Amino acid sequence: MQAGPGRLRRRLIGTLFVIFEAVPNSPFEILEHPADIGFRAFGKTLAELFENAAVALVSIADEIEDVVPREPYPLEAAAGDVESLLVAWLSEVLYWFDGKRVAFRTFRVSEIGPKRITAVGMGEPRDAERHHPRLIIKAVTWHQLRITESHGQWIAEVYLDV
Amino acid sequence: MRTDVVVYASQSLMDHIRTDLSVQQAMNVAMLPGIVGPSLAMPDIHQGYGFPIGGVAAMDMEEGVVSPGGVGFDINCGVRLVRTTLQESEVGPRLRELINQIFRDVPCGAGTTGRVAINQKQLDRVLVQGAAWMVENGYGEPRDVEFAEAGGALPGADPCAVSERARERGRPQLGTLGSGNHFLEVQFVEQIHHPKAAQAFGLREKQVVVLIHSGSRGLGHQVCTDYVALMNQNMVRYGIRLPDRQLACGPIASEEGGSYLAAMRAAANFAWANRQGILHFLREAFQRIFGKEAHLDLIYDVCHNIAKQERYEVEGHRREVLVHRKGATRAFPSGHREIPAAYRSVGQPVFIPGSMGTASWVLVGAPGAMQETFGSVCHGAGRLMSRTAAKRGRDAKTETRKLEEAGILVRSETRDGILEELPDAYKDVDEVIEVVHRAGLAHKVARLRPMAVIKG
Repeated sequence: MQAGPGRLRRRLIGTLFVIFEAVPNSPFEILEHPADIGFRAFGKTLAELFENAAVALVSIADEIEDVVPREPYPLEAAAGDVESLLVAWLSEVLYWFDGKRVAFRTFRVSEIGPKRITAVGMGEPRDAERHHPRLIIKAVTWHQLRITESHGQWIAEVYLDV
Repeated sequence: MRTDVVVYASQSLMDHIRTDLSVQQAMNVAMLPGIVGPSLAMPDIHQGYGFPIGGVAAMDMEEGVVSPGGVGFDINCGVRLVRTTLQESEVGPRLRELINQIFRDVPCGAGTTGRVAINQKQLDRVLVQGAAWMVENGYGEPRDVEFAEAGGALPGADPCAVSERARERGRPQLGTLGSGNHFLEVQFVEQIHHPKAAQAFGLREKQVVVLIHSGSRGLGHQVCTDYVALMNQNMVRYGIRLPDRQLACGPIASEEGGSYLAAMRAAANFAWANRQGILHFLREAFQRIFGKEAHLDLIYDVCHNIAKQERYEVEGHRREVLVHRKGATRAFPSGHREIPAAYRSVGQPVFIPGSMGTASWVLVGAPGAMQETFGSVCHGAGRLMSRTAAKRGRDAKTETRKLEEAGILVRSETRDGILEELPDAYKDVDEVIEVVHRAGLAHKVARLRPMAVIKG
């Protein structure tokens, strides 16, 4: 099969993404769990942390390099504290992925506080022909959930039920 | 801790159990208000979220709490075993054709939606009627309902307690397998250990059977997500403090507790309907290959993620309790009124799926389960290796070929499905079974060998 320009572009973006993942400043890394899976996300700000945590979630669910970020989807969540907000935010992304069947590529937080987040997810409707699922994520858990900040580096650890 | 933790295990299983957080999680469960008897751990126990997977806890109906995490995100994840009229020697030569047909007919639902199209009103009926709705609407045979735990539907389900989000996630997924550890496996009966029970269940050596392992899909996952958040918000109001927020709970007698149980029952009913849909598509696939005379009968359907109101003798008194089974299977002994009449003289069938490529077991509930474990036994082999570790240094093509060389065909919809569930990622299912058999919680009936597997 001959690769069209769009396909080549996606492959290139995919390759860049893999390189980006491998450098120390990667947006997230995978954590092990005996039965399930987790990730550690990084960010220079709380907003970037939440963006990268969302990228981690959708990267576990799907091959995101196949997703074209052509449509904006408004996302929001609210909760009683920042940990609950992270669970609520990731549950919002998962709901759009599984319930609204949207494949995401990137996220941009417009506003964030410890109890509320508004953001835009860029992606497109899920298409079984082009998008390749990796794992069905059932839910975002509270198991060993952690958000820390030190010297301008935010870190979050989250485990998912798969 | 308000009570003891009791772990059922052999020495070598105990050595594995100590390597993760599962015993600590069982200790956390022992801190829940209103727990009756010990916090129990089955031999397949492994680290979960909040509750360990393989955990059982009974709660007092008045003083106790209900914990959505104690049921799990996959509400009424369970197993149904189906017997065929075919022998291993008849299926073997056409196995590749058969598994390809099943893979086409039974959607996994990772990238696609299911084949059962229902509107909102019909979803309401599914949430109340469970498997019976599917049968009434052409997805099964009347006897299928009789041979499911609780008749394939729990009373007390309220569709209004299920959020729009849960409905939206679940509605297009009815009749789909899911991924993770969910699978459909064509197997044959390798060895009979309990002839009387095997005869009652219609099992004989070399007979082909099919095991279906699935749950309530996105609907149940969202119900649990919604209610863990709600319980977390309200725990302070009830003066409940816990070491792990995933254990979030509320009094059974509270508004939140009642609402969760009504939603959980609705999700459980959705799961029975889901497994019923899968059985229907499986029957169609078998008949496409082997003709109309190929008949598939449901042996039984058991759930292993559930909270159920049951009565037990505790310290000399009959008590009504809410039994949380998180990765644990009900195992009622002979004579119990909730067992279908055809099996009542031998006991309730219990199905323990092993890992892909090893073996699964049919057991029968024994009196020890009523005396010691609130009518519960294990639910699987129990994971040994993380998903990431299982994938390390392996590729799906090579592993699929190795399994095929061992006589097991595998199909998977997701890229990682095969690698993460390889046999060595799990404990030895035979050792797990030996523990519950020797402890008198359930007795061995038959060992089943895999022939072909569909992974989500």
